[in-house]
Order: sequence, then C-alpha cells, then structure tokens
Amino acid sequence: MDRIIGNGPVKRRVLVVEDEMINRELLGNMLSSHYDVVYAENGKAALDVLSEYRGAFSLMLLDLRMPEMNGDEVLKKCKSDPMLSNIPIIVMTQEKDAEVESIRAGADDFITKPYNMPEVILARCERIIDLYEKKTLIDSAEIDALTGLYSGDFFFEYIRQFEQFNDSPMDAIVIDIEHFHLVNEIYGRDEGDAILRNIANTIRTELDKSYGIACRPSADIFFIYHPQTEDYSALEDHINKEIGADSLSSAKIRLRIGINKNVDKSASPEQWFDHAKLACNGLRRDYTKTLAFYDSALHEKQLYHARLINDIDRAIEDHDFIVYYQPKYGIQGEKPVLRSAEALIRWKHPELGMISPGDFIPLFEGNGLVQKLDRFVWEEAGKQIAEWKSKYGFTVPVSVNVSRIDIYDPELENTLLGILKKNELTTKELLLEITESAYSDNAARLIEVVNTLRQKGFRIEMDDFGSGYSSLNMLTSIPIDVLKMDMKFVKNMLNDDKSLKLCELVMDISRFLDVPVVAEGVEEKAQLDKLRSMGCELIQGYYFSKPVPPDEFAKFIEKEI
Amino acid sequence: MITVDALKEYGADTETGLRLCMGNEALYLRLVGTVPEEACYAELLNSIEAKDYDKAFDAAHALKGVLGNLSLTPLYETVSQMVEFLRKRTDMDYSEMIEDLNKKMDALSVLCK
Repeated sequence: MDRIIGNGPVKRRVLVVEDEMINRELLGNMLSSHYDVVYAENGKAALDVLSEYRGAFSLMLLDLRMPEMNGDEVLKKCKSDPMLSNIPIIVMTQEKDAEVESIRAGADDFITKPYNMPEVILARCERIIDLYEKKTLIDSAEIDALTGLYSGDFFFEYIRQFEQFNDSPMDAIVIDIEHFHLVNEIYGRDEGDAILRNIANTIRTELDKSYGIACRPSADIFFIYHPQTEDYSALEDHINKEIGADSLSSAKIRLRIGINKNVDKSASPEQWFDHAKLACNGLRRDYTKTLAFYDSALHEKQLYHARLINDIDRAIEDHDFIVYYQPKYGIQGEKPVLRSAEALIRWKHPELGMISPGDFIPLFEGNGLVQKLDRFVWEEAGKQIAEWKSKYGFTVPVSVNVSRIDIYDPELENTLLGILKKNELTTKELLLEITESAYSDNAARLIEVVNTLRQKGFRIEMDDFGSGYSSLNMLTSIPIDVLKMDMKFVKNMLNDDKSLKLCELVMDISRFLDVPVVAEGVEEKAQLDKLRSMGCELIQGYYFSKPVPPDEFAKFIEKEI
Repeated sequence: MITVDALKEYGADTETGLRLCMGNEALYLRLVGTVPEEACYAELLNSIEAKDYDKAFDAAHALKGVLGNLSLTPLYETVSQMVEFLRKRTDMDYSEMIEDLNKKMDALSVLCK
C-alpha cells in the first residue's frame, strides 16, 4: 500500500489508548509525523472511537492499566469482532506478567514503559502495520468468497509447498459443470450460487475423509488435489445429486470429471490440472460417461502430432525434408538392369532428428497436409531427373506418390505438366503411383482423373496392390500401367504358402490386365529367383539397395553407363 | 522558568527525556511542568493515607510510568521502590518514602515556577 499512501497527503490512522496525558502526548509527538493520530483516554472511549471510525485504523497502541475499561478487555473485544480483528494491536506495559496474558488474548507486539527510543517504537509500528496490510491482502486473495475454497493462485502455491514434503502419489481432478450458466438463467443467480456452495461443501466433505485441497479457479470449475484413489464414483454421485442431474437433465446441465491419476511430479502442478482438464474436455463428445482419466501416452502422441503439423511448412521451406531414391531393377535379362526409381521422402528434423515416414505420412494423409509433401517431392524429383539426364545423358524415370487428396485437386494435371515443362521432361519420365485403397474410395472420380493423366502420356502404377479391397469387377475397368505388389506378400512368400499363392495371384491378374508387376521389399536372392520364375519383371528392395540420397544413387547410374 | 540545565542539576536524565520527545525541548519542559499536578500523585498520597493499597498500587504504577518516560530519575527511583512494596500490598509505614517523594516533588515544583 506504500505506493499510494506513503508519498501522498493521505496518512494511515493510529489510535492511541492511554489514560496518562503525558504518555499520550509523548506518543503523539512521536507518531504524528507519520500517522494521523487519534486518542482515547480509556477502554470505553476507545471502543466509541473505533465504532465512530468504523474500525478504519492501521494500528492501535493500547495501555493495559486504565480506569473505566482495562486494556485487556479492549483487546478481547477487538479480536473477537470481525470488523476490528484486522487492526493490529501493540500493548504498552511495564509489567512482565501482563505480556504473556496479552499475547494469549491476541496482542501483536509490546512496547515497554519507560518507552524505548522513538526510532524503535516507530519501527515496530511500521513493521506490524506492513505485516497486517499484507496479511489482509493475502487473506482476500486466498479464498474464493463464494465457496470458501482456495482461489486458483493460492491453490497452486499450496500444492507446491505441500509437494516439498510429500512423496505419496496424488491425483489431480477437474470438475466442470457443463452449461452451468443455464442454472443461473433458469433459476436465478442466487440459486446458482447456492448450488456452487453445495458442491464446494460436498468436495470439502470428501476431503475431510482423507486430506487434500480444492479450489474454484473459475465460475463453474473446481480443482481437487487428492491422494491417489481408485474409486471416484462417490464424489461423482454426490455432486450429481447437488446439481440435480436428474431433474436438470433436460436443460443439458451435466457434470464432467477429468482425473489425472498419479500425477507426474516432474511436471508442474499447472500441467497436472491441464491434463486432467484434457480428460474432462474429452467427455464433451461422450454423453454416456461423466468421468474420464487422462491418458499420457495418447496425449504425448497428440502433442507430437501437433508439433509435426506445426513444423511442416518450415520444414519444407528449410529443406528438412529430403527425397531419397530407391532403384527398381529389371530382372528378366541375364543381368539386372536399372530401370527406374521410386522417390521416398525423409524428414530430418532439426530437433527431433530423423522422423520415420510411418510417423508423419499417415498423419498428413489424414489431415490433407500430404498434398504439400507430394508437391515438394514432385518438384524435387523433377529437378533430379533433369540433373541426372544432363549429367549422364541417361534418364532414370522416377515414380512419385499421388495421394488420394491430390486426385480431387483440379490443378493436379497442370501442376504435374508444369513441373515437366520446367525441367524439360516428358510424361514418360515421371511415373505416378496411386495406392490401391484410393481406388476403392471414389472409383468413378479416380478413374476419370487417371484417364485424363494417361491421355497426357503419364504412366500410372498401382501401389500396394493386394492390400486394398478392389473388387475383381473394378480391376477390369481400372486404367493402369503397372501393378506394385504389396511388400507384405514378398516378405512372407518363402515361409508362408498363403503369401506365395497371393504373389502368384497378383502375377495372374497382371497377365490378365496385361501390365508388368513391380515386387517391393525384396531382400534376398531366393525371393528374387522365385519372383523371376513367376514372371515378375521388376524388383525393388534392399536386395539391390535401400532408399539413398541422390548423390549415392548416382553410383547406380554410373554402373549402367 | 524551568530549563533543561536546571532539570539536569535536579538529577533528571534530560538527554534520554529529550530524545523521547524527539528533541522537542518545549514539549519536554511543558510535560515535566505538569508532573506536580499529576492526578495519580494526589491519588497515591490519598490512598496511602487511607491504606487502600489497591488504589495506591495503581496510582504509583501510573506515576512510575510517567516519571520513567520523562526520565525524572530522582522521583522515578522513589516511586519504583514504592511500587514494589505496593505490588505485594505490603502494610507498612510509607511515611519516609512519602516524605522523600514530597520533597523531590516540591523541588521540581520550585524549578517549574
């Protein structure tokens, strides 16, 4: 308070209660330079003055031995009166024995007689006033006036203090009354407040059974910090009763409880409740439950995904995405021949390191961001084909992925043609891979787009063939140039008869459609030999090479020329 | 006219007394001037005579406080002595102490004139 009261014309008011005129004058002389001093000659007069000023005093200096009413009686009256109990009282006495009794009655400090030096007396007055002013501020900020629970800031501070000494597992609980504002609107504010108080009482009763603290951080939300407990259904039932969940159900008012069980003590208390709140908010969509638990693994995955989504644009800009190339070899001749390559994206994150495509491709496919990646790969591959072409006079056609969402892009054809034009390439040099499952999604649209692309001369490879759900009927009408056998079949073909049969089936279909097959995931010579014997023309896999950066891939080209 | 020097000669610890008045000499001298007229002084004399030791203790106690605050050492010493007897409500002959007190009080009154 010193910021506004210390330097301005306003002075704090001090009451001096002393029957001896000489003592009053001495104290008045000391105090009046700092304070506005009011005097009372005895206890009774003091109470009159207090009531006249409605308790607006920063301090009372109280003599114990006085006629009419003694100081100790004033002391008792003041400390039991809520309006006066926040006035600090310094007792003035010559008697050692009186000190103990006064401190029990609530005196805050002593001044002995004969008086100490004025500097000492002033310092003691100042200190006790400061303490009380701070305490009053703290008291008013500590407690939520409506419910008597803690306010949010203090709640977290007390948790921190408690946790300095606590090793037991604890739960963080968030209680949210959905659409509580409707209670206020329908039944009035007083009724709403009464319900909130009742909920607070219910929570207090629960806490009394063990230990813990609670607060009301905002209108209709409660936080509880509580020793780990298995069953919260009693709390749930009691609060549901308080909000009259049955009778109010038509008004959509309902309870949601989110619990972060056994909080992670290495995180901050605020985070514990953020996580409990996540569980609580998860219930918004689920009307069958009122209670949910925070799942840290799920949350971490969500956070990780959010991070990846957030970083994608910068990663494209900074070239954190790198296009790798995996060679495809023709195996029908005596010696394998490099025929083409598949472009595969890699993410070298500056902080997270190498991120597996398995982590980000399905995520970006799900939210459509894969379109940005595809475009990036097309651009990079186009440049790369042109670079190798001019360096070696040798074209390595590169197949790139065309995702389901690209099919719906009206600019798809123009974009692809634009890239070819920019790099002086033909449609024979950039191959397009479309996954089989995209065909079953919206076959009519896909067939239309693929037909248009093929008319322009593009060659379409059906990726992961065998993993989707293409009907045999659809296969006959699909415009397709190459089948890529799902690598799962290849992986198991030598030790699983069913996989082998499926490989043979894919070969049969390819003969029926009159298109070549690329077998992916080939790692061993035995697999290669088997596939060759089945009539498979093209092989891709670790047997020849894993996907490699462009400069490493150049070595494969150099071998061919 | 009372002066600080005269009070010092009288035996008062004027330095402490003045400090308690925050150096306000006029205040100090004015307050000292009221001591001979102090109600508790008269009260003390009367209640001793009436052997009402409860009242006498209260009066002596109050007087001691005032004298201490003004550092009127000669008077303070006498009254402090009386307070200790009166605290135990000792029924004894206080005349010698009263005589001493009156003598010192009279001397102060003379200084104050």
